[in-house]
Amino acid sequence: MIDPRIEKMAKVLTRYSLELKKGDLFRIDGSYLTEPLIKAVFKEALLLGANPYTMVTIEGLQEIFYKNASEEQLKFVSPIDWLTCEKLDAQLTLWGDWNTKYLTNVDAKRVAMYFGARKDLFNRRLERISRHELRWCGTLFPTQANAQDAEMSLSEFEDFVFTAGFLDRPDPIAEWQNLSRQQATLIEELSKKRQFRIKASDTDLTFEVQGRKWINCDGHLNFPDGEIFTSPIEESVEGSIRYTYPAVYQGKEVEDVRLQFEAGRVIKASAAKGEDFLKAMLDTDAGARYVGEFSFGNNYGIQRFIKHTLFDEKIGGTIHIALGASLPEAGGKNKSAIHWDMVCDLRKGSEVYADGELIYRDGKFLI
Amino acid sequence: MTDPRIIKMAKVIVEYSLTLREKELFRIEGSYLAIPLMKEVYRAALAVGAHPYTKVAIPELTEIFYRYASDEQILFLSDIEKREAELLQARLFIYSDSNIKSLANIDSKKIARWRESQRQILSLLLTRKAQGELKSCLTLFPTQSFAQEAEMSLSEYEEFVFSACFLNSPDPIAEWQKLSAEQARLVSFLNKIHQIKVIGPSTDLTFSVAGRRWINSDGRANFPSGEIFTCPVEDSVFGFIHFSYPAIYLGREVQGITLQFQDGKVIRATAEKGQDLLDALLNLDAGARTLGEFAFGNNKNIQRFTKMILFDEKIGGTIHCALGAAYPETGGKNQSSFHWDMICDMHQGQVYADGKLIYENGKFLI
Repeated sequence: MIDPRIEKMAKVLTRYSLELKKGDLFRIDGSYLTEPLIKAVFKEALLLGANPYTMVTIEGLQEIFYKNASEEQLKFVSPIDWLTCEKLDAQLTLWGDWNTKYLTNVDAKRVAMYFGARKDLFNRRLERISRHELRWCGTLFPTQANAQDAEMSLSEFEDFVFTAGFLDRPDPIAEWQNLSRQQATLIEELSKKRQFRIKASDTDLTFEVQGRKWINCDGHLNFPDGEIFTSPIEESVEGSIRYTYPAVYQGKEVEDVRLQFEAGRVIKASAAKGEDFLKAMLDTDAGARYVGEFSFGNNYGIQRFIKHTLFDEKIGGTIHIALGASLPEAGGKNKSAIHWDMVCDLRKGSEVYADGELIYRDGKFLI
Repeated sequence: MTDPRIIKMAKVIVEYSLTLREKELFRIEGSYLAIPLMKEVYRAALAVGAHPYTKVAIPELTEIFYRYASDEQILFLSDIEKREAELLQARLFIYSDSNIKSLANIDSKKIARWRESQRQILSLLLTRKAQGELKSCLTLFPTQSFAQEAEMSLSEYEEFVFSACFLNSPDPIAEWQKLSAEQARLVSFLNKIHQIKVIGPSTDLTFSVAGRRWINSDGRANFPSGEIFTCPVEDSVFGFIHFSYPAIYLGREVQGITLQFQDGKVIRATAEKGQDLLDALLNLDAGARTLGEFAFGNNKNIQRFTKMILFDEKIGGTIHCALGAAYPETGGKNQSSFHWDMICDMHQGQVYADGKLIYENGKFLI
């Protein structure tokens, strides 16, 4: 018998997160491991009158691609990918890996070349998402590999994932609607502020957000969710930050990242582990050294770092700052083929000031 | 470790069957059960400089689709799929079912309606293939479902499939080229022949093939293959034929069929088992009682009947006739909404061409 939480999740994703409607062209992307959720979502989508189809990924195929493709093949962007980007009304990405480290030994320059060639496609997709022409949601289906990264058994990890999505509650959709209202109240206050300063151990960072919008992440684009973010004014970021958690991107882990900003640009970057990868990613393109996002994690049901951004960036009491592409709905203008979220714990010895006023201390809002 | 025969199979499909070239947009289609082969084909396609991508089906979704889709959803045709049909330069379809009976309880009218709605895409693919713009190949990856149907274990069935593909040979491509050359010789002989007569147990059938072309099926459009086929002149078929193997239509079996022809039409049809289905299919449409194909199975590595037409019609030492639609490349004109292959063992039979004995006991004498 199927875990009833999977059926609940499929209902929340199709009805609340994606708001699927009759006639929507809807693609479900995921590996074969996510098959139980793919099936449940496919059925719910049919019942809502959408036209669902699947894009099932194959374990190991990306590795074959990066290791064997010629430069021409790495840079090839299929016209079908462009058409898909223009035509889709809704898209669900199901993360859930066999092995979260399988690209560790792939040449980072080749990965960057692939993403560099797809920059326009990536930006166009973000644009359609921000204009609500494409309703996209990214979520995770619990697998052994993700459980292992989280240092849990699969059944513990399932509980972690489903609890973070409020799927253990009788009416998950109502819970998400509640969180959405709470965050809307916070945003009202933050929207009055112009300048922010983050103070923590080895961290003193300032930036301005004048004219930018704060966005309420309430389970639509990501599931689970619980964060509020904006895009700082690109050139206004000054100072330095030391990330308490490893930065994970494309299956690679970079530990103890320290960044120094001047006029918005990363001028110095170091890491205790994975510094080569960090530097290769920073050299992807001109926008890769600028901040695309600043955010407060606000899901206090998530308290553990599990090496998966979807959850880690929402840990209640953390912030994250992403390098690369901004999400245009916040008013950010930075363009890049990468968007790399790096999470910093603020639950101990940390303060956030807004226009000089202390608004946040040790992981909690004071407003 | 990947079964080395799968690596060989991928290489033959990419380099021989599809002769894939640099920059060709190439789609690999199959179910998740075929992933080991899909990966190796993907790797081989990258090696020749093509642009491969995969379309992995979850067969269980088909059942969910038919159970829950409304009429509107069944009739929906995706713009993306249409565009793919216009752009693809090569395509591999891998049979890889998880349960070949999974749709047995679905309303067949629903399935027919969906097929009808997708016809635009199918005919575009066929047209582009006929014009040489699209290369395509149909193959099979051994699964438990097919093994069960063939009454074998999976490892026995794998051996059966890979052997039929000549993958136990050190150089399978050379084997396929050799078979192709042999069949080319047979085809050039048969293309000069006007009349064919088939003799065997309860069989005495004659027909004209004047003006028709014989086609060399040498492992390109189908893999494996090993078959030469044509289409009899429609109204020229006379006599009777008994099919030693069961004829299978959409998973249902009809056993011990004997057909009697006059002026090209089936005038009498009997079956030891499945008479109702046989009668129903013969009355399906105007072309259903006329032959659309006559062929020699010529793959010596296929020696048993496995209830999968991709293999059965190629059994070395058999012939097969199909009722219904003809393949236009043979010059055949019969039209029908179905094409039903029926196979006859020839180990006790003879074939005469313009009165000369050319085939006896399952072997060509020419």
